[in-house]
Amino acid sequence: MEFFSQTYVALRGPTGAPQTAADTIGRLSDRLSPATLLADRRAAVLALKGLARDCKQDVGDRALPGLIEVLENDAEVDADIGKAALETLNILCETDDSASGHGARDLGFKHTDAVLATEKATHVLFTLLGDNSFYIRFATLQYLSTLLQNRRQIVQAYFLKSQAGPRSVIAVLEDKREIIRNEGISMVQALISQSPDIQKVLAFEGAFEKLFATITQEHGVEGGVVVLEALTCVESLLRFNSSNHSYFRETQLPPLLCTLLQFPPAMPFNEIAPQEFALQFWDDNKTANAAAVVRIIGMLLSTKANPAQEVPAFTRCLLEIALASNMPTPIKTQALRLLPTNLNYPLLELTVTPYMPVPETNGEEWDRLEAASALDALVELALHGEYNGLDAAKRSKDGLELRTAAVCVFENFSRKEENKQAIIATMLPAEGQNPKEYPPPRPLVHALIAPPNELDMALVTSTQLAALLFSHLLRASSSRVKSFAISLTPPPFHIAPTPTAGAFFVPADGVAPPAPPAAPEIDDDDPPQTLLQILSENLTLVSLARKRTDNSEREAREWDRLFVAYLSLFSQWLWDDAIAVREFLNAGGLSVLVEAINQTNEADSIIPGLCAFLLGICYEYNRQPGEITRSTIYPIISRLGVETLTGRMTRVREDERFKAVVPDSIVLPYPTPSHHPGLKPEADGEGEIWFDWAFVDFWKSNYFTVQRGLGTDADQLAASSGNAESAMLVASLREVIQKQAQEIEALTSKLGAASTAKSGEVVALEQKLSSLTTQLQESEDKRKEQDKEQEDLLVLLDELSNKRSRDKQRMKEAGLDVSEDEADDDEEDE
Amino acid sequence: MSASWNYVFKFIITGDAAVGKSSILIRLTDQRFLANPDPTLGVEFGSKLIEIPEEGKVIKLQCWDTAGTESFRSITRSYYRGAAGCLLVYDVTSRRSFTNARTWLADVREHADPHLSCILVGNKTDLCDEPAPAGRPREVPTEEAELWAKEEGLLFVEASAKSGQNVELAFEQAARDILDKIRRGVFDDDRSPGVKLSKPVPNSLSLEHKRSTTCCS
Ligand SMILES: Nc1nc2c(ncn2[C@@H]2O[C@H](COP(=O)(O)OP(=O)(O)O)[C@@H](O)[C@H]2O)c(=O)[nH]1
Ligand SMILES: [Mg+2]
Repeated sequence: MEFFSQTYVALRGPTGAPQTAADTIGRLSDRLSPATLLADRRAAVLALKGLARDCKQDVGDRALPGLIEVLENDAEVDADIGKAALETLNILCETDDSASGHGARDLGFKHTDAVLATEKATHVLFTLLGDNSFYIRFATLQYLSTLLQNRRQIVQAYFLKSQAGPRSVIAVLEDKREIIRNEGISMVQALISQSPDIQKVLAFEGAFEKLFATITQEHGVEGGVVVLEALTCVESLLRFNSSNHSYFRETQLPPLLCTLLQFPPAMPFNEIAPQEFALQFWDDNKTANAAAVVRIIGMLLSTKANPAQEVPAFTRCLLEIALASNMPTPIKTQALRLLPTNLNYPLLELTVTPYMPVPETNGEEWDRLEAASALDALVELALHGEYNGLDAAKRSKDGLELRTAAVCVFENFSRKEENKQAIIATMLPAEGQNPKEYPPPRPLVHALIAPPNELDMALVTSTQLAALLFSHLLRASSSRVKSFAISLTPPPFHIAPTPTAGAFFVPADGVAPPAPPAAPEIDDDDPPQTLLQILSENLTLVSLARKRTDNSEREAREWDRLFVAYLSLFSQWLWDDAIAVREFLNAGGLSVLVEAINQTNEADSIIPGLCAFLLGICYEYNRQPGEITRSTIYPIISRLGVETLTGRMTRVREDERFKAVVPDSIVLPYPTPSHHPGLKPEADGEGEIWFDWAFVDFWKSNYFTVQRGLGTDADQLAASSGNAESAMLVASLREVIQKQAQEIEALTSKLGAASTAKSGEVVALEQKLSSLTTQLQESEDKRKEQDKEQEDLLVLLDELSNKRSRDKQRMKEAGLDVSEDEADDDEEDE
Repeated sequence: MSASWNYVFKFIITGDAAVGKSSILIRLTDQRFLANPDPTLGVEFGSKLIEIPEEGKVIKLQCWDTAGTESFRSITRSYYRGAAGCLLVYDVTSRRSFTNARTWLADVREHADPHLSCILVGNKTDLCDEPAPAGRPREVPTEEAELWAKEEGLLFVEASAKSGQNVELAFEQAARDILDKIRRGVFDDDRSPGVKLSKPVPNSLSLEHKRSTTCCS
């Protein structure tokens, strides 16, 4: 017993009190002092590391300064003590999930703040990072990551002042040891975040080159997560950093971005993109990497100032991805969205070859389809979706996103009047063509006029997207485009060989689809319908179909969707276009609108509102003589009530399907709003479209004009000034002007040709004239000079003769003999 | 894209704030002058090809303006280390900027490669040719600066980013000096981090084709 109690006393310490953890930690912390032997210090650090997690507070309170001192003095000499000190510090500062337990998180922040109270620790860490020892480098990286995660901005500020920082970081990025390099890339991601100065100095030190070396070494987009992290670093070095942008463009790296996707950066324009690029195997990992590459390409494309010389290659690469590759759908969508909004690329001239998976081959075999212009392929993609409409009936959100992204590119492209006219030219019959021999139907018009007889999900969507495309051609168009549209007479609709796909593409080596049935004989008494007439008729058909009582809820919603598509198109078409209004009214549009406005079913708020809007447009722009005039419509409006009409319109704006549309995203989850008793998606991720942003914008900017117009008397044209008579006058004058403008155009071009012929002569004459003028000027100058010289001489002469007479006078006075009449002597020397 | 130059030289531009560093860079790369450069514009990197005909060499200059680091010089040191050439700029109408050039030079000496070629550039000479109020009197005589440059072994030129006078010359002189050092073998095997020989363009990454794609057409 005696023995035991003595030992016990010894363990309890001399004071007799039991030794607490705090005491132990205190004693261990004291041993960190440089006065102790290195071996003792090492043992103390190891012991503290063991206690750090459980006694985070005490170890932090007592040991932090000592541990940092150890880092500074011992780590380079003794890797073991360095590693242990770093790990201990890391435990003390951790704030993430591993720092479980009450207060551990707060303690982590508290200790971080203590460590970062001065710049010393950070500078020591960046110096240690230069140390080549595996354990030191690795532990330093981990600890820096922890500090950056907790207090990024402070670490960044210290880094900018540290001597060794940039060089150490670069050394880590090129470390051959994979674990270090990968850990380094993660740390760098945090270090450069939102700090243009750090981004810049690292770029200066060669970070881009090092990162791309890693990407290449790790098999490019085929590589693992480290490739993704390296690409993410490249992206953050570039984003919002114009200086790095300029530098990056200077390097040899930009073309590598194309190469990473197997796209040859220097491919000639008229060559078809290679199959290694177009057809690849894709998994999630590769998809993430490729998406990062595409993001960087998009970012480089978006800089306005000093664009990179790779702009054409980048643009083409993105187009090829979307139109003629088997890349995953989200990447295609992203590629289209990243194309510049002021797209300036010859889409009509570029040839692409889209592909189709061979059925039942699990994506391993592909058919190459016939080559087409990029514009045709783009329209096809919008109308029918990927791979010739393979999955169009499913209407997945991803698929719809891609198709609407294609519509946006079309919109941007056709914003330029010349592109718009070029597109339209493709829809017109060739000159001198017998109007009975129809040109082949263009897919866009074909999809637009598809008769709504049977409900076919895929067909509804393609008609809807065709309406979006067509409205982009009409919106804010020149009178030329509008007069084309009004006279457009499409050939009769043929059902395509397969119901969903456009008849447009056939496998390049496959058998041609059966020839479409010969155009039915045209009845000479019955002139072919114009596009506008066909669409008005379809509008009527749909208005009947949606009221059929045997529709399921899903079916009814599809009819409504189609109805909305027509109504939106008409609203934009008829806006400020009196001729189109007259045609629409003549085709019987009015009764459809009135009936729908009168509809008692309160469930749907969108259609009555859109009809009221369109009715308002028909009233406002009714300025052409015709059967149905403003006075015809006025009583109808009065009977419906202006209040009611306005009320209907207001409800459109409140509808979720309208409100949820934003510029970059018009695809909504099916059904929107989600709490819909009778509807549920047929598959996960089903989407739907109601409006595009352009229409929403159009509605918002013109809503008020329409509302005001509805409240105006028939003999007044209030919303837009003037009266009916003058409106008609304006319309007829407009036509005259238009004709004259065309004449002027023709004359101008004639004049242009004539003047080019003359201009040679004129130039020669002008040159002659200018040389003569110069000569004249020169001789004039010379003459003036001579005049002046002469004058000067006269003055001089005058002075001389004065002087001479004075001298003579003086000489006379001096008694010298002076000749009276001398012409020349040398007495003027003084 | 093929490399059409023989060397890439990294240059840095240092000196007090407002002496015209950004302006010199813009003048070099864009042949422009901005009376009120937007400091947030971040024109901090520019590059330019220059030809040294008598050597038959084309050189790509990559220039970093060290703007924003005037406040914490230590980061600038990192730039010094990686550069082959340095433009040390002062404003001929500001005595103070010239005096401070000594400090900047001390920094260069301490941290840069010992073979770094440094040229002292007295900027804004156009101002002393103009009468007041547009102009400003010269505060640093040419002879004084030239003498100091000589003592310190620096190249020297007076220039104006506004008129463009001597801006390109400044870079050219420094580049010539570097070329000369290369010829004399001062940098054996790429020892200066700021000099790079142009190498064949690595425009094809050799990516492994792990799997190949079949296509029936
Ligand atoms: N007159 C004149 N003004 C200059 C010249 N170079 C720069 N400046 C002006 O000096 C100011 C500072 O120039 P800046 O390039 O921003 O100097 P930095 O701070 O060294 O980059 C600006 O207002 C410039 O327009 C020059 O050669 N002549
Ligand atoms: Mg500046």
